[in-house]
Order: sequence, then C-alpha cells, then structure tokens
Amino acid sequence: MQALRTAATGMSAQQLNVEVISNNIANMNTVGFKRQRAEFQDLLYQTLERAGAQSSDQGTVVPTGLQVGAGVKAGSIYRIVEQGAMTQTGNKLDMAIQGRGYLQVLLPTSEIAYTRAGNLSLNDQGQLVTSEGYQIQPSIVIPPEATDISISKSGQVQIKQAGATAPSIVGNLELATFVNEGGLEAIGDNLYLESGSSGAPNLSVPGVDGTGVLLQGYTEASNVDAVSEVTALIVAQRAYEMNSKVITAADQMLSTANQVKS
Amino acid sequence: MDNALYIGLSRQMTLQRHLDIVANNIANADTSGFKTEEPIFRTEPKSPARTADGPKPIKFVIDAGLARDFSQGALRATNSTLDLAIDGAGFFRIQTPGGERYTRDGHFRLDETGRIVTQSGQPVLDAGGAEVIIDPKKGALEIARDGSMSQGIEQVGRLGVVVFDTLSDLEKSGDNQFRNTSNQQPQPAPASLLRQGMLEASNVNPVLQVTDMMNVTRAYESLARMMESTQELSRRTVERLGRVE
Repeated sequence: MQALRTAATGMSAQQLNVEVISNNIANMNTVGFKRQRAEFQDLLYQTLERAGAQSSDQGTVVPTGLQVGAGVKAGSIYRIVEQGAMTQTGNKLDMAIQGRGYLQVLLPTSEIAYTRAGNLSLNDQGQLVTSEGYQIQPSIVIPPEATDISISKSGQVQIKQAGATAPSIVGNLELATFVNEGGLEAIGDNLYLESGSSGAPNLSVPGVDGTGVLLQGYTEASNVDAVSEVTALIVAQRAYEMNSKVITAADQMLSTANQVKS
Repeated sequence: MDNALYIGLSRQMTLQRHLDIVANNIANADTSGFKTEEPIFRTEPKSPARTADGPKPIKFVIDAGLARDFSQGALRATNSTLDLAIDGAGFFRIQTPGGERYTRDGHFRLDETGRIVTQSGQPVLDAGGAEVIIDPKKGALEIARDGSMSQGIEQVGRLGVVVFDTLSDLEKSGDNQFRNTSNQQPQPAPASLLRQGMLEASNVNPVLQVTDMMNVTRAYESLARMMESTQELSRRTVERLGRVE
C-alpha cells in the first residue's frame, strides 16, 4: 500500500524540520548566527491516467488525469541572511557588520573561512583573532604600547600611542561578499566556507560596492525569533502526528483485508 | 451472487487509492505551493453475470480522475529577499531540461553565476522567457507586486507570471512543479500580485484530510463485512442445497 510509504516520507520530513528548528533555538544567543528553514518538495507522481488522453475513437479526451503522489522530500535547508539586531558591548575589539559581507578568517589548515561573528580578541603576538584564536585576514597587529584602538566604518584600524598626538594606521579590514550567500557551507564555530554554489568571494572595502559597514563596539545578535520558532515547532509536531495517523489508518485497512474469512 | 463480491472489491480498490492520495496530501501539508488533490469516482455500469430473469444492470465504482484544488494557500512571512508568493492566480515559469514547468513555490535563490534559480537549481524565467541574472553589487533586490525587479533606482527586469485557461490540463511532475499537457499556451497573468519575503503555504486542510481518512478506513471495514456476509450466504446456500433429505 502506497499510503504507508507516503506517510513515512512525511514523518521523516517533519523530523528533519524539528531538527532544523531545534538548532535555531539552540543558537538563539549565538553571535552572528543566521536562522535556517527547511523547505519541502513533493516527490514524483505516478500517472495512472494522463490528462488529455483519448478516451474513445470519437475524439473524447480524459478531462482530468489520475495521478498518485509518492510523498514529500526535503528540498533544501536554507539560511535566512537577514540582518540580526545590533548589541552594544562597549568592547573596542567587537565589530558588527551592518549590511552584506563577511570577515575573513585564516584557519589552521591555511584555508580561508568567513564569519559574521565580530567578537574578536588579541593573541599573545598582538594579532587580531576570533574567539577560537584564528587570525583575521588581512592580518592586523596591534602593538602592546597602543593606548586606544579605533575601527572606522570603512574598516580602517587606527591606534593611539602614548606620546603621539596623531593616531597611526595599522591596517585595513576587508569584507568578502558572495553572489549566493545562502550557498556558503557552514562548518561550525560561526564559520563558513566558500562552496560551488556560493560563487567566488568578492573582496572590497566596507561600504563600497554594496557591502556593509563595520560598527565598532557592537556585535550582531542571532536573527532567530523565538516566537516564530516555537510556533513552527508546534506545526511540525502536529504534522508528524497526522502522518503517523495515516500509517495507523493504512495498517487498519490492511488488517481488515487480512481478516476477511474465505 | 458473485456480483456483490466484485462490486465490493471495486470499491475497496478505489478506497485504497483514496487513502494513497490523502496520505500524499498530509505528507505535503507543509510543502510550499502544494495544492490539495481529491480523487473523483464514477459508476461503471456493467451487465450482471446472470441475466435470465432480467435484473437491473449492476454498477461498479471506478476512479475517473483527480480534482485539484487550486485555491490560494495562506501566505507566511519568511523575510528572505528571494522568497516570493503569488497572491491570486498564476504560476512562475521554470526552465528544466524536460521543457518549461510551472510552479507556485516561490522559494528561489541565486546560483554561483547570479541567476535566479529554484531550490533544485533550475532557472526561473522572466516575462520574455529568458533567464534572470542579478548582480548583487548593485544593491538590494526589490520585487514589486507586478514582478518588476529593481536594484536601487535601476530596473533590472521583470519576473514572468503566467495563467492558464484550463487548469485541469496541468499535471504534477514533482519538485512542486506542474507540466502543461495540452497545446494551450500560458498567458501573462493580468492581475497577479507578487509578495516579496513571503511564501505560499500548502492549501491542505488537515481537518478535512483526517476526516477523509476516517471515512476511508470505516468504509473499507464495512465493505469487508458486506463481502463476508455475501460469502457466508453462498456457503450456506451450497450447504442447504447439497443436503440429501
């Protein structure tokens, strides 16, 4: 009976939906996190009678075909790259990206990863690093004698040194943008890798060519909305239950058939 | 006598198909742009097995077709730039290797070359039937109610939305897409309203589907009972007639 398998596809799709929602809720307070959504598509249809097929020699045609669908599958799990709220931290090394773009991070494997989590720190050599200690690219070194750091909207990093009246520039941050941001591959730790569907990174000065600007002293909060996630969870759970009801119904019909006395 | 059994069987077969279709509706209760389906049954008159004393013709049941409910599904906000919902009649045009397909699932994205594509990577067509290429550097993409797309003050094209005179000529081909099975040409939609940042939810009504399902299982059971008693009747007949007085 097709209904059993169809309902099973429905149950596994809703299970995936719950997994995506629970990951969103778990990351409600993760800096720079972008919420995800599962989108579904219907599976193939078995066409038993084609619409428009001839039903007699007189040229009459079947007005409506007869198709039975095989269920549902996960079409894609996509990231909604909506801007998260800006949270003021007052930390000189925190920066939020307002608009499009990602900071570049040098991984220990010497690959470049991309992130929107701008909660940065300094390592023992004075280099600007992420919370995992991975270097930000282009590398920026803050000398130990610096008394103040300021990061401009366009990514220019300036320091003030004791005794000097004018600030000095120690480097410029760049932002990478992608044609299809949703296609970036998430690798955890708030990091993303370039993928075949994201396109090649486009480096530019913040604020130029449609990229966002940097805000010092802020971090970008996760864009997960608790209320809509909880409602989505309720919908998913009920849909799961309904699919299991179909399995019960199909099972009941099969058992009726089995109990027919000969 | 056998007629009753065969009639019961014909109904049981259609009931199984009915459950398959209900199962597919329920499985797709959360699929964007999905349209509910319902089987149509009709009577199939046939002459009975024995006509000596001229009984009325008997009527079998047969599945005649499928009704598709093309009514509007609820719109839900996703706030994603390339999520589009059609408010009113109309379909988006999709280019696939098997020819043009139509969909109401407006969950699109850009691919690595900047084309607007569906979830499965097939290009979405504009009003003229060409692929749409967006350069994200030009700024945020705004899609107006009539499908015209702009980035900043620059107009960058217009998405194609088409309507069909006879919706029953459309056939589902999976992946939320419809296939045109007739020669009729789709016409540009005169008054379709596109909503950016929204998706059209499936129009499956869960309450109706669950009641349908209950009806199906109960009908199946009562048929089984009917067939059982018919068989019991013929068994007893054979017993009585065979008894030697």
